[in-house]
Amino acid sequence: MSFDIDMVLRYGPLLLSGLWTTVYICALASLLAVAAGLAVALIYSLPSRTMKFLCRIYIEVMRGTPILILLFILYYGGPSIGLTLEAETVGIVGLGFYGGGYFAEIFRAGFQSIPIGQIEAARMLGIPRLTIVARIQIPQMLTLIIPPSTNQVIILTKESALLSIITVAELTKNTTQMVNETFAVLEPYVAVALLYWLIIEGIAFAGAKLERRFSRTS
Amino acid sequence: MSTEATGGAMEPKPVVLVEGLHKRFDAAHVLRGIDLSVDSSRVVCVIGPSGSGKSTLLRCMAFLDRYDEGRVYIEGRLLGYREVDGKRVPDSERNIDSVRSVIGMVFQHYNLWPHKTALGNVTEALRVVKRLGKREADAIGMEMLAKVGVDDKAHDYPGQLSGGQQQRTAIARALAIRPHVMYFDEPTSALDPELVGEVLQVMQELASEGMTMVVVTHEMGFAAHVADEVVFMDEGEVVERGPPDDIFKRPQSERLRDFLDTWRSRTI
Repeated sequence: MSFDIDMVLRYGPLLLSGLWTTVYICALASLLAVAAGLAVALIYSLPSRTMKFLCRIYIEVMRGTPILILLFILYYGGPSIGLTLEAETVGIVGLGFYGGGYFAEIFRAGFQSIPIGQIEAARMLGIPRLTIVARIQIPQMLTLIIPPSTNQVIILTKESALLSIITVAELTKNTTQMVNETFAVLEPYVAVALLYWLIIEGIAFAGAKLERRFSRTS
Repeated sequence: MSTEATGGAMEPKPVVLVEGLHKRFDAAHVLRGIDLSVDSSRVVCVIGPSGSGKSTLLRCMAFLDRYDEGRVYIEGRLLGYREVDGKRVPDSERNIDSVRSVIGMVFQHYNLWPHKTALGNVTEALRVVKRLGKREADAIGMEMLAKVGVDDKAHDYPGQLSGGQQQRTAIARALAIRPHVMYFDEPTSALDPELVGEVLQVMQELASEGMTMVVVTHEMGFAAHVADEVVFMDEGEVVERGPPDDIFKRPQSERLRDFLDTWRSRTI
């Protein structure tokens, strides 16, 4: 048995191009997921029961549907309702809103961890609601929500391999192309596993650094 | 209605006026028609057994809890609702903030923000609501902390302060916005007994400076010595009210006598 390192090097540019696509799609999808999750958690905290119900539906649909099905609906079903999107856009939007369902729950738990009395004290001082969120709630939540958020970004990144099925030229798709062209299996998949591991180690490292930074200030 | 509420031209209007206040939590009828008037520079202490509705009254007077019937006026302005075509609708958050901007509130559990220093707690509203610069806000913050005697702890976090120091910081935070009336919701109930005195002393000094105060308390000694009027509540009603001497020395109602007897038997 031998491991053909030259083959991996030959396909280096293709793999690196896939790596870059995976990184930027996952970065944009994660930002969208955080924004959607924060917005849903904030709306959820309003007294309106209707808004709570709508948020609940969003969270349940995102958590209750496999990401692949969501991607199929968006990519293949979209055009039939006039929604024609590029595969990469579908990847960002699909992964983003899918992750948003999970981030909403992370933020909701974070908001609930702040005693209501602190919010009431701020309200009595006339501090506007969004300022309370930004200056009182979120800074205190960070130590609590950074570990599950890091996990969530890692999960999204691994789920992004499914984008290869809807033709996005990301890491897994390019690796499959390498397999098809070389008829080798071991080298491409070991190489791609290492590249995913690198991305995920990077995310974990950033998460741990953020966690340390905010646990010092809180 | 509003002219009655705000008083005639000759009389100074009360800082806080409560009329026929009712509050229900589902089936529980917690406030049953409370009337209360607090004039400028007066100290009103609200006493009563646990569950009598006194904290709920104070929270409704700040609109932290929405009241169901009746009215709360702060310096003549209706708090929490507005009248539209004779019907009462909830007021906008901006208007509610505006009406209660003259109220400073101190809570039983201090409710300081643990990620900010004592000074940071006191200056927060000055920075983000009054839009003062850091230097100006810090100067006012230090002045307020000095007033309550915790200026030497300005750069400590709440977790590094004793309960009494935390509560005094909370008082400084409320004072920083220059309120016209201070609400105290059982400010010493969460404190260790040896720390109660330092908080009561700060409150007494405020009262002697002419601050208008509404104090929900179990500290009968404070009520007896500092209050201009004591209001005794039980089961969501004001049972008796009057000067401290009348309330503590000449209680008229059976319920107040029972309450005072229970309190005396516990303090012996």
